[in-house]
Formats: sequence, C-alpha cells, structure tokens
Amino acid sequence: MSRTGISARRRVGPGEATSDLAVQAGIAALKSAGGASVQAVVLATTTPDHPCPATAPDVAARLGLTGVAAFDVSAVCSGFLYGLATAVGFIAAGLADRVLLVAAEAFSTLLDPDDRTTVPIFGDGAGAVVLRRGSPDERGAIGPVMLGSDGERAHLITVEAGGSRQRSQGTAAGERAGYFQMQGREVYRHAIERMSAAATDALDAAGWRLDDVDRLALHQANARINAAVAARLGLPLDKTMQNIAQVGNTAGASIPILLAQATARADLAPGHRVLLAAFGGGLTWGAATLVWPELNVTAQQLEEPCTSC
Amino acid sequence: MYELLKSILVEDLRLTVDDVRPAAAREDAGLDSLAIVELTMVLNRRLGIDVTEDELLELETVADIAQLMEQRCARL
Repeated sequence: MSRTGISARRRVGPGEATSDLAVQAGIAALKSAGGASVQAVVLATTTPDHPCPATAPDVAARLGLTGVAAFDVSAVCSGFLYGLATAVGFIAAGLADRVLLVAAEAFSTLLDPDDRTTVPIFGDGAGAVVLRRGSPDERGAIGPVMLGSDGERAHLITVEAGGSRQRSQGTAAGERAGYFQMQGREVYRHAIERMSAAATDALDAAGWRLDDVDRLALHQANARINAAVAARLGLPLDKTMQNIAQVGNTAGASIPILLAQATARADLAPGHRVLLAAFGGGLTWGAATLVWPELNVTAQQLEEPCTSC
Repeated sequence: MYELLKSILVEDLRLTVDDVRPAAAREDAGLDSLAIVELTMVLNRRLGIDVTEDELLELETVADIAQLMEQRCARL
C-alpha cells in the first residue's frame, strides 16, 4: 500500500473479456440516459477481446444496437479522452445525434504475473457515457478537447509481441515480449509534463481561468503524478479527485470510473466545472473541460476485489 | 543552497519536514526514484539547473544533492 498507494483493485475472472465489462457499463449508461437510441458505439480499449475484429461491434450487438456504427479507439490510458473527441466529432459532423462512448479495460490480461512493478498497480474496469447533440452553453457540453502524441517515445509503454512487427518474423515471441512493459521513471516525467501542459491548453481554449476549476479529473495512474500535476497547475489537492487507492490504474477506463464514483459519493455535483486530463502509452495525452450536468449515475463494482495480488 | 533544496523538497515534493536533514540518506529523506524524477524537473524548471536522475541517484545524502546544485548553478 505504501509504495503504490493502492489497496484494492479488481480483476476479470477466468474467461471474462473486455466486452463483458463494456456491456455492463454500456447498459448502465444507456439506462442513465433514459433509453434513447444511439447511432454509434465508440469503445476505447487497450485490451480488445481479439486482435481482429474490433470489440465495439460485439458490444453494440449485445446492447441491442446491431446496425449502428461501432469501432474501437486505441490510445491506452488516454483512451477516454480520444474516445470523447471521436464521439464529439461524430455529433459535430452530423454522423450521429447520440453516441455511446465506452472505455473498458481488462488490463490484467496484459500483465506478467511475476512482475511486481505492474501487477499491484493495474486494475480492470469499465465506464461509459452517452453524448447527445446540445448547445455549448448547457451543462454537460464538452469544451475544446486537446489531444497530442509522441511516437518517438512509443517504447516507454509497450507490449512488444502480438502485432504485425513480431508476427511477421515467423518465430515465436520471447517469453516476456507478450507482456506489458513500462519504463517507470521516464513515464513519470512525461506524464507530469504532458498532462500539465494539455490541461493548461484545454483551460485556455475553453476561456476558463484556473480559479474557475472546481474539480480536476486526472487519469488515475499514480497519486504522486496527480499531486505533482495539481501543484504545477496551482490547483489545491482537495479539488483533485482520486480513486486509485480503491481501483488501481484502470488505464483508459480510469476517468469515467472516477467521474461515476465521485458523483455517487457527491464529491462531484451538478454545476461543478471539471477539468479532465490523461496521459498514456503512445505516447498519447489529452485534456478537456465540461460543466458537470444532472445525471443518474450508476457505480457498480466487479464482484471479486483482488487485494492480495 | 541547502535551505533552497529543503524548501523544494518540503513544499514541492511534499516530503516530511523532519525527515529532510543534511546528513539524511536520500531514501530516508523520502527521495525514492520517482521523487528524484520530480526533483530533476523542479531544479531544471525553477533554477535552470541541469542534473540527470542517474547523477542524483548516485548521491548518498541530502547535503550531497545541495552540493551538486551549488556546482551546477549558473551565476553571473
């Protein structure tokens, strides 16, 4: 607990997959949105059920949405913000009036069970939201979404094997090559710098001042990264929402899970001006603003907490 | 320079003030590898001091770090 700041995390059971988590979150979000139809399903995930096809069409079908546009977005821990930009773009371009955005990760399936630097940190989970066409001045309107990437540092966060680079070699992958690997110190540095910069850009683009921010919702990778980002932005720690101690790092799913849990315990309330920021493998990063709306939020836990692994 | 370092460690890195003493070993002061990353960032951004994480990780005490800052601090 003391070294990671994480006391519990949840894991998919044997045979369970990302789509199973995504469907549960999708059901809750559609119900919360009053059951209105959506014309697209965007799934942000690092752990699709299969290399081919994408997982979103299966999720859509199991939600009774066969026929709608459905595809995956891959941006690792920035997945929710990349998915958010994609969903906003679908609506802005007139391709949909409503979009279901799900972020779901079975990240534990990428981990080397013997790697004590990653196993205690990551957890599985999913979160989902329904976005609809609206006006910029109403609560819930998504402000300008700032996204970025740095592929020169792709090697800092990687699963080497399983893609075309390794499979084209025609030989079996090395034992560790199939597992998630992260260069912690370098990632720590870039996470602080990129999230701080993206958050500042999103504030500027939205025309908000720092004092306008009521809640900071950062990707939950590490409590110390978040404290450092808050300090660099000049935001007090009590405006920085945290749930990493309870769920671990759920990668792309971290922000919607954080928002749902914070709403459920009334730490996040309608009218709060929220600044979102994330950073992840790619490297990728993103940030956005919104004023929190009235929502019927459901927060549910995967059945088996995994506190000992 | 030590007092400046101490204020950075306590205020920016939020280390426990009683643990930060000149003779304190790096780890005992709370300077683990991630805190060292943060320290290099603050030193560079705030003071223009260029030190690498590996350089700091080789040092034993808080006073050693202050001494390296002294050496690297550009001045007129």
